Amino acid sequence: MRRAVFVVLVLFVGVGFAWASGTKKRRLPPYEFGSVTINNYSQLAGMPPVVFDHWVHRQHFTCRLCHVDIGFGMTAGATKVRAVDNMKGYYCGTCHNGRMNVNNKKVFEACAKEYSREEYNRCVKCHALERDAAKEEEFYRFADNLPKERFGNGINWEKAEEEGLIKPLDQLEGVSSMKGKLKVQQDFSLKSKVEGMPDIIFSHKKHTVWNGCELCHPEIFVGIKKGTTKYSMVELFDGKYCGVCHDKVAFPQTDCQRCHTKPV
Amino acid sequence: MRTTALARMVLAACLVLSVYLSKAYCDEAWRAEFDDACAKTMDSMALSAGELKALIGRCERLQKIIEQQDETVRKVYLKRLQMCKNLYVYVLEGKSGEKLQK
Repeated sequence: MRRAVFVVLVLFVGVGFAWASGTKKRRLPPYEFGSVTINNYSQLAGMPPVVFDHWVHRQHFTCRLCHVDIGFGMTAGATKVRAVDNMKGYYCGTCHNGRMNVNNKKVFEACAKEYSREEYNRCVKCHALERDAAKEEEFYRFADNLPKERFGNGINWEKAEEEGLIKPLDQLEGVSSMKGKLKVQQDFSLKSKVEGMPDIIFSHKKHTVWNGCELCHPEIFVGIKKGTTKYSMVELFDGKYCGVCHDKVAFPQTDCQRCHTKPV
Repeated sequence: MRTTALARMVLAACLVLSVYLSKAYCDEAWRAEFDDACAKTMDSMALSAGELKALIGRCERLQKIIEQQDETVRKVYLKRLQMCKNLYVYVLEGKSGEKLQK
């Protein structure tokens, strides 16, 4: 009896801790994975917050282009983008300027000092009032032709690029510092801490193709020599190191086999 | 009398134009310098310690110029500059560490 009470007590405490620390996360539907809500100034200005969908953008541009050359931070709201910045042609306004064309389609202009009732429809493309069913449909139409993945967006983006189904642009004239081709560092393995779990094969090639060097070093990965920094899954799930991208935009870390690939 | 007034107006217009042009030129100059200094991030591993130090120095000089720009430009370019400079410092430290170990 005392043992049963003890077990129940432990369970209660465990569930309590999990609830309090927010460990139990809702698994997002594929079209919502990678969505970021930005609300630094929107509501203060009487507009709904901006809902930024990574899937819409990552089919056209590399992570590096936006997070290095355009200057977006790696966490939601960190950049503190103002409407005036966009109007001057920076941040979202770099592309959303009413002049740029993507796939023969004009990219709509972001932000304006004054707008008519008709133009307000343009505002709510980003300052989303509620979930747009048309956008959801657009996602599934887009994802339908791409290689499948179990988690995240349900899209294997890496394979999609390898197969030429998406061709993300890495440099923009007038914005990017035109760089040469990167001499790729070799892949290396990282020892797994759990018995029976295969070691990780980290591929620089797979990461630099979209990120370049300065997006990860030294801000996210400080250690220079392999083995200098010890990583734990707790830290990773807490949004550090690989967790800066994986779980949020890149495939989730619950997809163990994507990283722990070294044959045992 | 009329000719003098016209000459003065032309002179004033030239002065205003030269101020605008020099500002535009300065703007172009630091951006070109930024592009050149930060274009080597992809090759940073292949650069020597001397080359890296020179690039870090250029980034430090650029920082002072960017700090004088308007708020948006400052925000965007200081972040970009910081990322590029930090990478050079990071690679340089790595190289120095390797040298010490040898």
